[in-house]
Parts: sequence; structure tokens; C-alpha cells
Amino acid sequence: MNLFRSEEHIERWLGGRAPGATLSVSKLSELAHAWWHDRLAPDWRPHTREQNQATLDSLGLMSRFWRLP
Amino acid sequence: MDAADIQLRNVTYRLFVEHGRAPTAGEVAAEAGVAVEDLHQAWRRLHDAHALVLSDAGTELRMANPFSAVPSAYRVKAGERWWYANCAWDAFGVCAALGVDGQVETSCADCGESIAVAVHDQRPDDDGLAFHCLVPAEQWWEDIVFT
Repeated sequence: MNLFRSEEHIERWLGGRAPGATLSVSKLSELAHAWWHDRLAPDWRPHTREQNQATLDSLGLMSRFWRLP
Repeated sequence: MDAADIQLRNVTYRLFVEHGRAPTAGEVAAEAGVAVEDLHQAWRRLHDAHALVLSDAGTELRMANPFSAVPSAYRVKAGERWWYANCAWDAFGVCAALGVDGQVETSCADCGESIAVAVHDQRPDDDGLAFHCLVPAEQWWEDIVFT
């Protein structure tokens, strides 16, 4: 899960490998805040798979790539 | 992983932030008032439940996601401290978890050029950058360090 200067840099880095998923850094920040915002809450409880999938879905990350096991 | 394990997980995370580094098993055990061996067993259950990640030796922390217990390519200035994150996603997650603005520093995984991006009110100041996730979600925990 890396950062790149641009999508062109991702293509070069892949070097012919099958790509995964590419997001803008704004979408990444949105995802990070939705995913991690409660990790230091004193009463933190584990998220269920369904909760995590709902977080991804709410951000429009609904392709097969983003399907949790 | 039961309620007692989750309590130990929460103590672990609290000490991570208070110390600005990964706490040792001894530090967490002392804070929680449990034996180190019991703490090790709880950490193993939490590792197996993906609530934290242990080192290969299984006795110290490798990740308290989004924080990295070891130096990494992703450094984050947040809350007046520098932190290491496990990946680009986690780097922004450090700001999210702490609930503060910050700055992510790394280098382009392709060309190696330095990247510094500030985060204000959850928004990065350079949207020309791109994030790539190579491993599909269903395989993330098959090798979380590689992911």
C-alpha cells in the first residue's frame, strides 16, 4: 500500500504486473479516517467484517477487489 | 479474544500513544496488573484476531495498526510527535486515530522522490499524488506485513 507521484509512476512500478486498486490521496485520507478514527477510543471494540465492509461500501469501494473475506 | 483481551489491547494502544513508541510486554503487563506470560497469551489471541500484530518471535509488538512498532518508509508528524506507520493507508490513519492534523513523509515507491503531504481537517494538501493497493482485500491478512 504505497504512495506514488502520479498514476504514471504506478504503471511504471507495476512493470507489467496486474494492477490492484488506485485511489486519489484525498480518497485515501477519507478511507483512513473512516477506518481508523476510533482505534484509540478507551472503549474500543473490534469491528465486525460487516462493519468494515460497510465502511468500504460507504466510500464507493464496492468492486470485487474491496470484498473482505 | 474476550473482554479481558480487548481491555489489554486498549491498554496496549494507550501506552503506545503515551510513550510515543511501542510498549514492551513487561510495561503493558505492569500497567494492567497481569503476569507477563498471561499478557503474551492475550497478545497472541489478539494477533490471531487481527487486533494487533506481533513480531516473528511472538513476544513483542510489530504493529498496533495504524502505528508501526518498527521504523518504516512512512513517517508521520502528528500530535507534536513523529510516528512510523505501516503503509500509506496507515500513515493517514495515524492522523485519524490521534484526531489531529499532521504531515506524512515518504518517497515515491517508483522513483524514490521525496513526498511530503500535509493533512488539515482530514484533507491532504496535494491531491496529485496517487495511492496503490496491490493486494485484494480478501488476501490482506494472508501476509499483513507484505500487504
